[in-house]
Amino acid sequence: MEEGQPTRPDRPGPPNRMSLLSVSGVHTYYGNIEALRGVDLTVNEGEIVTLIGANGAGKSTLLMTVCGNPRPARGTVRFDGRDITRSATYDIIRRGIAHSPEGRRIFPRMSVLENLQMGAITGDPAHYEGDLEIVFDMFPILKERQSQRGGTLSGGEQQMLAIGRALMARPRLLLLDEPSLGLAPMVVKQIFNVIREINEQQAMTIFLVEQNAFHALNLAHRAYVMVNGRITLQGTGRELLANREVRAAYLEGGH
Amino acid sequence: MEYFLQQLINGVTLGAIYGLIAIGYTMVYGIIGMINFAHGEIFMIGAFVSLIAFLLMGLVGITWIPLALLLVLLIAMVFTSVYGWTVERLAYRPLRGSFRLAPLISAIGMSIFLQNYVQILQGARVKPLQPVVEGGFNVMQKGDFVVSLSYLQIIIVTVTVVLMASFSLIIARTSLGRAQRACEQDRTMAALLGINVDRTISLAFVMGAALAAVAGLMFVLYYGVIDFYIGFLAGIKAFTAAVLGGIGSLPGAMLGGLLIGLIETFWSAYFTVEYKDVAAFSILVLVLIFRPTGLLGKPEIEKV
Repeated sequence: MEEGQPTRPDRPGPPNRMSLLSVSGVHTYYGNIEALRGVDLTVNEGEIVTLIGANGAGKSTLLMTVCGNPRPARGTVRFDGRDITRSATYDIIRRGIAHSPEGRRIFPRMSVLENLQMGAITGDPAHYEGDLEIVFDMFPILKERQSQRGGTLSGGEQQMLAIGRALMARPRLLLLDEPSLGLAPMVVKQIFNVIREINEQQAMTIFLVEQNAFHALNLAHRAYVMVNGRITLQGTGRELLANREVRAAYLEGGH
Repeated sequence: MEYFLQQLINGVTLGAIYGLIAIGYTMVYGIIGMINFAHGEIFMIGAFVSLIAFLLMGLVGITWIPLALLLVLLIAMVFTSVYGWTVERLAYRPLRGSFRLAPLISAIGMSIFLQNYVQILQGARVKPLQPVVEGGFNVMQKGDFVVSLSYLQIIIVTVTVVLMASFSLIIARTSLGRAQRACEQDRTMAALLGINVDRTISLAFVMGAALAAVAGLMFVLYYGVIDFYIGFLAGIKAFTAAVLGGIGSLPGAMLGGLLIGLIETFWSAYFTVEYKDVAAFSILVLVLIFRPTGLLGKPEIEKV
């Protein structure tokens, strides 16, 4: 599974391969629409796993289902060995998951600093100052704008704030929904660098949903492809980058 | 001039009471976007609990007025908070996620229920309370006309100012206040950050009810008589105050309360007592025509 092409070796996987998040047979409905049609997927401790797929494939729904909103109609979600399928969202989050969701969902009438404080509510107050510094080091613009209202930030700044807010919780598992959406290429590069950094330096497990397949597959240890609410392909990042179907559907004619 | 000053004092006192009730409306609206029409009844229950608590104080022999007032205040806040919490739990939470009018209808039902409940338990007749706090200052005198400022008025305004200030501070500075504001702005995201949204909503009801209890206590002290129906008009006025100030805005509720108190008092003083409610509501209509978000409510300007 870790064998890639000789010319482009896989990123070395992390030593620890305990499964942190496991989703099995999950079906999720929005009203009558079946958004997830039996999804199986695992994220191991220390990994960056990415899920790619077209608009409307159900990627964001999967992340939200992990967080218990909406709850799956069938199937189970386990985090750190515990069944969290029926747990309340706040309870799931308090077990060590942070989510930077679709649309960023910055609190518009709170300052940048308050938004970051909101991220820290499940964390240990002893870590607060240190974590704030880490986030400000990563995204110096947030430090500059800390007293500005969240709603007045630009899209890229809001994205940084959303990631920073999720990091403030010191999660064991970080869920990122399209962190590169709508951003300038320079900023995209910066964001992906940050994701790699937090994975390597803080050993944080990251589950990344992306439409920007090239960057995501390059970054990820393992990857899944989702089509119409089902996982159709999986493998290491490199494997999927080389895969003909993936190239045709998600990589050609761009990036 | 003297007459004006006296009316100003009276108006501010009345405005303080309206403002305290208005906060409950504005908080609940801010967080779940519904008008809690039972909030006026919560205020009325606060007044009844205060009255009963005063009688109890007399029975157990606590006659030192400041202590008695403090104890009654605490008892009223606790009991009324329980009512506020229960109303939310029974009548609104099960309807969360259903169509928008459902909780509103439920609120009206709750309002009618609570009125009748108190009427059955306490009777329909007006309940009097002996004056508890008496005396005051003569601010100025001109001929026969004395401008007086009673101790009670000082207490009412002082307590209101202190409560509103500490309340604003809680909302602005503490993590509890941040949780409230987070739920106001984006409940889904608040939950995704680990906030127990249901509990935060309950807390908004509890805080609103506690402030309404204070208003109820002041009402019973100030007017000396209450009945099961006082919550209706006071509630509508406070609701008007909240809308006038900009519903969802805390400073707006306070300002709106003050304005409604002043408008009502001055209209009664210079024009006709009979039309004081018409005056208050006419101002509301005018404000809504020319500034639909209320005086301090700001239209949303958000980047997408």
